[in-house]
Amino acid sequence: MGAYELTLVAVVSINVMLALGLNLITGFCGQVSLGHAAFFGTGAYAAALMAAAGWPLPVVLVAGGVTAAVLGLLVGFTSLRVREDFLAITTMGVGFVFVGFVRKQGWLGAEMGLTNIPDHGLGDIGFILMCLGLVAAMAAISAHIKRSWLGFGFAAVADDEATARTLGINVPLYKLAAFVIGTFLAGVAGAVYVYFTRFIIPGAFGFTVSISILSMVIVGGVGSLWGVIVAAVLLTLLPEFSRVINDYKLLLYGALIVLTMRFAPDGLAGIVTSLSRRLRRSET
Amino acid sequence: MRIRLKYLALALSVTGWVCAPAQAQDVVKIGFHAPLTGFAAADGKSAKQGAELAVAQANAAGGINGKKIQLVVYDDEGKPENTIPLANKLIGQDKVAIAVSGGYSGPTRAAAPVFNRAGMVYLSAYAIHPDITKAGDFIFRTGMMGEVQGRAGAKLMADMLKKKKVVIVAVNNDFGQALTAGVEEVAGKFGLNIVKKYTFAMPDRQFGPLVAQVKADAPEVIYAPGYFFNAGPLVAQLRAAGVDVPIIGQEGYDSQRFIEIAGKASEGVIVTTSLDRDSKSPATRAFIDDYEKAYKDRVDMVAASGNAAATVAIEALRKAGSLDGKALRDFIRANAFETSIGKLSFNGLGEVKKPVQVQVVKDANFHHYAVIDDLVLLAPPEK
Amino acid sequence: MLHVELVLQGLVNGSMYAVVAIGLTLIYGLLRILHVAHAGLYTLGAYITVLTTNATGSLALGILAAMLVVGLCGMLVYRLLYEPMLERPPYVALIASIGLFICMEESYRIVFGPYGSSFDMPRLGERIALGPISIAAADAAMLVGAIVLLTGLAMLMRRTRFGVAWRATVTDPAMARSFGIDTIKVRYVNFFIASVFAAAAGSLVAVLNNLVEPTMGSVPSYKSLAIIVLGGLGQVGGTLAAALLLGVIEAYGTIYAGAYLDRDAIAFIFLIVVLMIRPQGLFARGS
Repeated sequence: MGAYELTLVAVVSINVMLALGLNLITGFCGQVSLGHAAFFGTGAYAAALMAAAGWPLPVVLVAGGVTAAVLGLLVGFTSLRVREDFLAITTMGVGFVFVGFVRKQGWLGAEMGLTNIPDHGLGDIGFILMCLGLVAAMAAISAHIKRSWLGFGFAAVADDEATARTLGINVPLYKLAAFVIGTFLAGVAGAVYVYFTRFIIPGAFGFTVSISILSMVIVGGVGSLWGVIVAAVLLTLLPEFSRVINDYKLLLYGALIVLTMRFAPDGLAGIVTSLSRRLRRSET
Repeated sequence: MRIRLKYLALALSVTGWVCAPAQAQDVVKIGFHAPLTGFAAADGKSAKQGAELAVAQANAAGGINGKKIQLVVYDDEGKPENTIPLANKLIGQDKVAIAVSGGYSGPTRAAAPVFNRAGMVYLSAYAIHPDITKAGDFIFRTGMMGEVQGRAGAKLMADMLKKKKVVIVAVNNDFGQALTAGVEEVAGKFGLNIVKKYTFAMPDRQFGPLVAQVKADAPEVIYAPGYFFNAGPLVAQLRAAGVDVPIIGQEGYDSQRFIEIAGKASEGVIVTTSLDRDSKSPATRAFIDDYEKAYKDRVDMVAASGNAAATVAIEALRKAGSLDGKALRDFIRANAFETSIGKLSFNGLGEVKKPVQVQVVKDANFHHYAVIDDLVLLAPPEK
Repeated sequence: MLHVELVLQGLVNGSMYAVVAIGLTLIYGLLRILHVAHAGLYTLGAYITVLTTNATGSLALGILAAMLVVGLCGMLVYRLLYEPMLERPPYVALIASIGLFICMEESYRIVFGPYGSSFDMPRLGERIALGPISIAAADAAMLVGAIVLLTGLAMLMRRTRFGVAWRATVTDPAMARSFGIDTIKVRYVNFFIASVFAAAAGSLVAVLNNLVEPTMGSVPSYKSLAIIVLGGLGQVGGTLAAALLLGVIEAYGTIYAGAYLDRDAIAFIFLIVVLMIRPQGLFARGS
């Protein structure tokens, strides 16, 4: 593998981490968030400051995650106050406020961003292995949560809050848990991003980033772990494999979202499920 | 359901097309990236056309020692993280000999260390982030640094126009921030009094409240860093509000679109830029005439910058005697280059040394107003 | 005087937000769809206005053409995209709408080019003096245009059969149907009217800025979402009040808070604060 493929793996890994985090919130727990890039950015800025101050890599990764999770907890509280459509727009608002705030902060480099980020010291291959390791760990955590009591609670909340409440499920607690875990993953992804680009600007964490993360979750199939991973990989690589249609790639990206929602709202996972169901039927 | 799946499969297969570029042995490749989609697509298109023109001109003149030049163009979408794999692809897959950035600061700053580590010369056409050239000694900037242009703006206002009371209205990004810093840096020296500073966002087109406030501030001159799509409406709205003091723009204004948008209000606006429309230099004339013929459109600063950076790259490939990165780097460092934006040479950091062109809008066109060639004032940083 | 002008300018911006957001709120009120692509139709309206005006020399014709074509496009969007999704969870339509908006912006860039377009002759550049206060003719046109459009809508809602049918359908679709109201037709007319508003807003902004661009819808797309939430989703009067209030707050924010915060973030700070205090929105009736 050359440097090109290695760096591509890093970009894909970061996006898969982001999609897995959002999948916990939107997929498992049913809370639509249009502001995931704000948590990604919070983690990145915290990590950049920590790394520049000389903290070692593991501490920086955790610090990025924790800082993002603190913001995630705050935003989680708003999810307790507002209903679903309002929540989508509130989280979108959080994204805009985050970027609007960072743009004006001299201590965060304002528009010039932060550049004095040290090398991760792992070497090219080491860094990629770390990325893949983190992706695997996050996928394993997600899979575990899905099978656990926590995942059952999430699913109940996602399905119907009122019913969940009558079942004795502490709805606010589960919502907060989803936000905290999901945004923690986004923060870790932010820290990885910092070591990858060694340069961050506010514009890298804008609304379009939130949208592209959400599209990965939706195209993959809300709540489906492997569907979301496959979609994140495909959607990230799509522009790479389509240089020939450079001029039309965003158009196709938009069209893909529209067509998925129109004809297969359950995403890739939904397509596969219905296909296998039909196969089974034809066998019997 | 079957039909639905067919649609989706079709969409996926269309998007999955892989392009296999023709591998010819007798070409020399120049790597190039610019934002061809997204919010900066207009600048990306201009920069790309400017660079393509330089390549076409050079190929018409015999290429590089008989070999044709090929420009390998990628869309960076304005995203820093996308540009890192893209830079690696230019180096490892496409095996370009030299690379040019027609992009903004974010992507260029992210890609610069990649090229430097590979020992490949990388020229930034118009990105203004000060840290770009600090990535290493293979990195050059053919465009002016924001601070340098800001200093030129201060001299223009205080020395040449004799206006001391200035209000700054700047676009809120790296460009506006750097230009503002440049003016502030030398304000004391020129006796400039910066009464107020305001910012606006890049997507802003309506400046009603700012205009009302600036009017109340009653400055002698307005310094307003921004792009043509901000500047057109801003200048029109200032003039419509009866604010008739001089308005000083920068290279972001330098597009015919600014004059089309602002209409009559653009008359008399003075900008600091790189391109002299009235230049007699053959390089500049050839660029302006060929560009307008090739693209049926008027030249702008970004196109000229893309053209100039590509011209430096081509000259180096031609005359350095080798396509090796170190030879190219040393050649660029040691020589001066005749380009569409004048004669360029570089300091120890890789920053360009060149005079600043001052243009004024007259009869719906940019025209020569003055040249600022105080090389002490305009000296870019050495480290 | 400065403050009078600041408020006035805030109202100009606010009335622009209002014309865009009213359409969104009509659609949300009836179908609970967060129609992000509304801003794509607004951009289309702006382009049709400029191109038709440049071709024919008549601004009135340009605006008329924009309203008609975009109105029909709105109905088409409903028929092809939203109608099959009504039974799905609301986020399906929201995401589809975002995808459609991306497609629209990209199509405009590919068809009309990335540089944007302007009128051959800039319109309404002069200024109207009202005693000590003066206002640009284009700003005045924006204000008057908004007042005419919104008054027209109010008349339509109060005085016509459609208005009665619309309100009945919003309150209780099943009941409305049992009274013989064609609720399907109401939906189409609703999309037509909402899209006509988007086109009108696009036309007015084209005149105001003398510039239309492929990406001009991106700020209105999300800001008008904030406005309809503030207005208490689906409330026409609340939306109008929220839009004007936001315009004035932004006018002051640009001047006095510019050093700490982007203007475009102000709307959302306002939104978040209001939602924390009144989760049903600023102007919602009851809860």
